[in-house]
Amino acid sequence: MSLSRSPSPHPGGGWSSPGLTPASGSSTPTRGFPHSHSPNTLAPNTAWAAAKAKSEEVRGYPSFSTRNSGFFSRQKSKISGRLPSFHGTKSPHGYVDKDVYGRERWYRSAGDARGVLGMILRRGRARLVLGLLLVCFGYLFLWGPLTRLYRRSPFGGGRKFVIILGSNVEGGVMELKGAREWAIERNSIWNKQEYATTWGYELEVVNLLAKKRYSHEWRESWEKGDVIRQTMRKYPDAEWFWWLDLNTWIMERDSSLQSEIFNSLDDGVYRDINENNPLNITHPLPEFYLDELGRSLEGDGKTDSLQMLLTQDCSGFNLGSFFLRRSLWTDRLLDAWWDPVMYEQMHMEWEHKEQDAFKYIYQSQPWIRSSVGFLPQRTINSFPPGACGDENNPTVHYQEGEHDLVVNMAGCSFGRDCWSEIYKYREISRRNNRSIFTILQDGVYKWVFGDTDSSSSV
Amino acid sequence: MQFALPPRKSPHPLPIARSTRLPYHRRKQLKTVAIFAIAIATILYLFSHFTSSSSTSAVGPAGTTGVVIVTILDRKSFSESFIKKIVTNREDYAKRHGYTNFFASSSDFQEAVGDAPQSWGIIPAVRHAICKHPQTKYFFYLSAHALIMNPTQSLKSHLLDRAKLESLMMKDAPIVPPDSIIKTFTHLKEKDVDLIVTQDSEDLSPGSFILKNGDFARYFLDLWFDPLYRSYNFAKAETHGLDHIIQWHPTVLARTALVPQRLLNAYSKDSPSASADGIYRDGDLVLRFPGCEARGGDCEEMDPYYMLWQKRVKRA
Repeated sequence: MSLSRSPSPHPGGGWSSPGLTPASGSSTPTRGFPHSHSPNTLAPNTAWAAAKAKSEEVRGYPSFSTRNSGFFSRQKSKISGRLPSFHGTKSPHGYVDKDVYGRERWYRSAGDARGVLGMILRRGRARLVLGLLLVCFGYLFLWGPLTRLYRRSPFGGGRKFVIILGSNVEGGVMELKGAREWAIERNSIWNKQEYATTWGYELEVVNLLAKKRYSHEWRESWEKGDVIRQTMRKYPDAEWFWWLDLNTWIMERDSSLQSEIFNSLDDGVYRDINENNPLNITHPLPEFYLDELGRSLEGDGKTDSLQMLLTQDCSGFNLGSFFLRRSLWTDRLLDAWWDPVMYEQMHMEWEHKEQDAFKYIYQSQPWIRSSVGFLPQRTINSFPPGACGDENNPTVHYQEGEHDLVVNMAGCSFGRDCWSEIYKYREISRRNNRSIFTILQDGVYKWVFGDTDSSSSV
Repeated sequence: MQFALPPRKSPHPLPIARSTRLPYHRRKQLKTVAIFAIAIATILYLFSHFTSSSSTSAVGPAGTTGVVIVTILDRKSFSESFIKKIVTNREDYAKRHGYTNFFASSSDFQEAVGDAPQSWGIIPAVRHAICKHPQTKYFFYLSAHALIMNPTQSLKSHLLDRAKLESLMMKDAPIVPPDSIIKTFTHLKEKDVDLIVTQDSEDLSPGSFILKNGDFARYFLDLWFDPLYRSYNFAKAETHGLDHIIQWHPTVLARTALVPQRLLNAYSKDSPSASADGIYRDGDLVLRFPGCEARGGDCEEMDPYYMLWQKRVKRA
């Protein structure tokens, strides 16, 4: 109540004491104005006089009009006048004492509210409702951050995985980097960032700028190995390093690497290359001088000895998407992969550079075979139509209904359009991973506007 | 009467005060639940730590004890008497110290080596020895044109003992003499050593080396034997191949101990390529005849030393 200050003077001389009438101070009294006319006496042809009077009203007492101009100061008594009271508005004495009435009503209403709340709380069911509400709010606002926190913690194991994304390929040195290239880069990085933050993985976007030391007749295309080594140094706690080319798209943000691959390494991986052998590699090696491990079909058969996971496409090894595990074996592989003597002899024949070099040492050096595992191609490296043939091959090409994890637009820079492919799969992935709200929203849109969904037209 | 604050009709207990009013058994229950939760969390944490630390181990332990001496005999160009001398020399040494001999025939590896010089056969021979003796810890390759001159000295006391090896290995020494820019690591420890090798005045010497069984041995031998090295026409075949991989592949260098030549690979007195202190002196373990090796076939220079050795064996 505003009784702590004196009643404010009113334009036109009168005053109103706040608290007496609910609307006091907010509207001007109808009487007491020197030029006011009551509506009855206002002749139709004196409209200008009324207008003049009005304008005089406005101009009349500028010093006072600032007083009650704020919304709250004007509405205060109205607001307080409408506060709920649970008991009758009249005092038991039958008359209204304004001081006591106001105060009485204040504390009584507060006390009653507390009492009612307490009463509700005392009932078990209401408490349950309150609890559920709390849980709902907690779920809405805290669930995401908490699960992410957990996944990044040592329990969640998210930090055991590092995604290495080769970006800025040759850095626009050989060919100008246009809007499409920038769009590919931006989108591809965003896509991996989303996936990495969802699951608590680390993401290392590496710059594959053209450098002389990686150019032809130096260590051509060997930045891959160097970059993986650097990343392994940078994340000393991580175990698996996932190389991804820039022209890839992670389609299923909600499937973790653990659930897709690493929780069932025994079942998902084949080590015997004869299961799918487009290169016709002799396996196992027949040499009599090799020990059992060197001549075995499946290495030592232990999951722990798998240090590299890759896929084969229709023409053999594909290193657009592969895993390496931190180990001595991996150090040795990265070391043996590039060798000046081998490179000197083969650099004209190894068209696919490090991929061909790896293929070569896999064939010629038995120690490598026992730790390499192959994943079915569509686990981490589905192809779009156009790569490996145009017809839909269910072992090679992306199958929309089956939620393949990754699409690799392999070879899209040779006569295909990388950006339109990436865009297409971005939209498919968006459609596949809609939340319930978005699905509902889309349904309503479809219902209202007919089937004009932009994503379905792509 | 006006009050600064409305009086409390039913004073609400403070939340802290409420907890003290919890029934005793309930508090106890909560306590047990909390203790259990913490215990389970701790166990899970430890468990996850243990599993992650053990996951990086590779194939199980290979050899644990013993030494296999690998010798390649060229039965086509060696005379029977020469072969007999070599075999006697090796077998005597093996018998004294409980070692095993592995004699390979160079013709076995002709196909594997292919068009390259037959001296590449060292590598599949050692690989074959490992295949035949998977439980043995050390493999000592010694050229056929070499004699073990000190029968009483065991490899362990001579070289393989931890303190001994750490005091003997050459640190920060150029790998290829006299002045290659790649040098052996200064911080190498005995437990990291898988390959013990010597150098003469020109190259690393693959005529006499000790290799520890295990993953590294497979890797090292397979890499060394890569077909592209064999087809590269290194002037000194596998010797230059060895120089090459140890200089270019740090994962090999990191496991290699370079020791002074005479410890494992003393040359006969007229060899031009012996290092500064590489000529055989009385008491050295091994005497090698690089001149005979280059020529192939039998080795007459060996005869006086063989007689000397026979005397020593009788005395010992």
